[in-house]
Amino acid sequence: MKNHNLRGVGTVFRYTMQQHYKTRSVMVFLIILFALSLTVFPLLSRSSDTGKEVTETAITKLYIQNDLEFPINWEAIHNDSRYAKLDIALSTTVLNKDDLKELLNKEQTSAAAIVHTDASKGGFEITGYYGENGKITTEDMATLNRVLRDVLHEAILSSLNVSPEQEATVNSTAVSQVQLAEEFRSNKEIISTDTHMVVSMFYSYAIMLLSTLAMSYIFQLCIEEKTSKLVESLLVSVKPMALLVGKIAAVTCFLFIGLGLIGVGLFISYQIAKNINPDAAAASLAKVSGFFHVELGSVNLGIGNILLLLVSILIAYSISASFSGIVGSCCSKTEDLQHASVAVVLFLMIGYMTATMAPAFESDGTNAFLSIFPLTSMYVALPNYLCGKISAIVLIIGMAVQLLTAFFLARLAGSVYSMMLLYRGGFPKPKQLFRMLRENRASAKAAAGKEANHEA
Amino acid sequence: MGFVVEDLWKKYGEKTVVDHISFKMDEPGVYALLGTNGAGKTTSIRMILGMLMKDGGKVLWNGAPLSLANCNIGYLPEERGLYPKNTLMDQLLYFASLRGVSRSEAKKRIDYWGQRLEATEYLYPPKGARGKAALPKKADQLSKGNQQKIQLMLSLLSDPELLILDEPLSGLDPVNADIFKSIIHEEIDKGKYLIMSSHQMATIEEFCTDLTILNRSKPVLQGNLAEIKKSYGRINLFVKSEQEIRPIIEESGVKIVSSVGFSYQCKVTGEAQANELLKKLVAQNILLIAFELREPSLHEIFVEKVGEAHEES
Repeated sequence: MKNHNLRGVGTVFRYTMQQHYKTRSVMVFLIILFALSLTVFPLLSRSSDTGKEVTETAITKLYIQNDLEFPINWEAIHNDSRYAKLDIALSTTVLNKDDLKELLNKEQTSAAAIVHTDASKGGFEITGYYGENGKITTEDMATLNRVLRDVLHEAILSSLNVSPEQEATVNSTAVSQVQLAEEFRSNKEIISTDTHMVVSMFYSYAIMLLSTLAMSYIFQLCIEEKTSKLVESLLVSVKPMALLVGKIAAVTCFLFIGLGLIGVGLFISYQIAKNINPDAAAASLAKVSGFFHVELGSVNLGIGNILLLLVSILIAYSISASFSGIVGSCCSKTEDLQHASVAVVLFLMIGYMTATMAPAFESDGTNAFLSIFPLTSMYVALPNYLCGKISAIVLIIGMAVQLLTAFFLARLAGSVYSMMLLYRGGFPKPKQLFRMLRENRASAKAAAGKEANHEA
Repeated sequence: MGFVVEDLWKKYGEKTVVDHISFKMDEPGVYALLGTNGAGKTTSIRMILGMLMKDGGKVLWNGAPLSLANCNIGYLPEERGLYPKNTLMDQLLYFASLRGVSRSEAKKRIDYWGQRLEATEYLYPPKGARGKAALPKKADQLSKGNQQKIQLMLSLLSDPELLILDEPLSGLDPVNADIFKSIIHEEIDKGKYLIMSSHQMATIEEFCTDLTILNRSKPVLQGNLAEIKKSYGRINLFVKSEQEIRPIIEESGVKIVSSVGFSYQCKVTGEAQANELLKKLVAQNILLIAFELREPSLHEIFVEKVGEAHEES
């Protein structure tokens, strides 16, 4: 690639960025995105079971109605130092709703709890009640509820004559794993298929999301000059390659700025949540990873691997952005964008689907092959390596393949963009596009040969 | 030295769209590319500028292949536009920056061209304006003619040595057309090389020194306009009388091209035939209001050449 082909790329980049951030809707979107990411952890913490616990309680009296068929040792509540002096009143009759409301509103430090079976939820339920405008807070009630839950749990075990040891045995899970004898000998840590699958799924989903977002921006930028009929005026001042590279670089920047903003927002959000309630913040994080059955501790996420992750995402992004550049260049009018979107989504989905299904096979050969195969490598190579499914050498080969693919597609995108800038026909089929490219190359060669003869 | 186009050609599949065009400009001036619709003018210009791959031929500027690196080119394309949602000032500064013009210099030039083209009000919000009126104008807020002024500014911002104008006056009202013409004259006076393509023969005739007429991708006439006209001789005769003179004209062997009332546009073989007719008219005491023998206009030459080419094909 000659240098003059890229002359003006900085100007195109700056102008595209400047115009993007001058758009009011973009700024509003970014502010909303940032504000939303700020609320994530505080909201998760609030919805988490492990809310903030009080150190001292305002509750002095507790009315209990037990609808269960087995006895509960409510005196065990006093074992918690905060409730050592709690006055417990067991109701032998059903608490009347109106009476209860009147009572709790009158006795400002009294609370009530009804323990019953909920068939729809398939278990037991404790509902705590407290009066309006009293001294009892939500946190106070949540703390009491947790204590009552522990007491109930003990009562259930006692009713079944289950010892704590028996309980631990029943609750323990059985995990099946497969490992080579050599791996067993070298004490290699096994990462479960579930974790591998979730890591692969998350990584490929992130790539897919980034690529799809980039696709729509790139399409718009590729077609912008054609629809505004500005293309010929521009081409006198800048080469198509510089125009394309400048625009894709700008798209990359504002996408990554957006992602960075979300990252910063989430970080601040976590710090806020931690400041309010450290336990709840940690629990909310554990809840997210637990929901997806991810053993984050077993995945090696050191600084080196995080850098590798960023490089890998950038290469994967380059591949998909270049492909979007090729397809976007073939559009002449906005109606063509539909064809273009289908083409790019198909390209992305083939790799994505393969990547998300591959861990289920649990085969080293399959993992290695998919890690170096150009269509799937950008999705699977890094997750496979992080989960210990491929060696560093296979990862290096995979990333080299990705780099070559990105380079090849970027060159092709440049050629197609240059060739199609003045094209005003319908969306070309691949066969037609490659025929046009061949003809264009032949013309370029012939012309270059003649110019060389002239210079000689 | 100067600007040379040599044996330029291009094919799309089996169809030749530009068939071996050659011309040169040894010194500054205006060269016209004329032709019917689809004759290959715009394709030729695109190849000259390197936007379209040529199948053969050379385009040289001072002996070297023409490129942005060795020639400051300005271009007003036939298919012109602006970014609709971006402010005009942003777009002008962007184009200037792409051509390596510094921001401060670009602002000076924008001010100058804004005044020359009477477009300052679109570039700067009026003083004391409030609300939407205080916002800088965007391209989609301008009429087509005013957008064209901004497009001409884009092509002139780099102060080009070679200026290519493709249909520069199309779509302009007479007042704006006059502003454009005065700017073209100014650029000619500055010693620029201009290549102009237009369907408006009177405009071309006003500016150009040399021309090529293209028909169906081939050049059908080429050379210096004054010499071409001279080579045709004074063969166009306009006669106007107050009475019927058709029989006398026909008797003299003069071909009547068109007539309105007692006014006749005729074609003569030369000055002798015209004199012969005049003598006859005088001899018969015909009162003549007009008797004008002149060279053919560019319009007439164009129509004749293109017509000949059609007949041959």
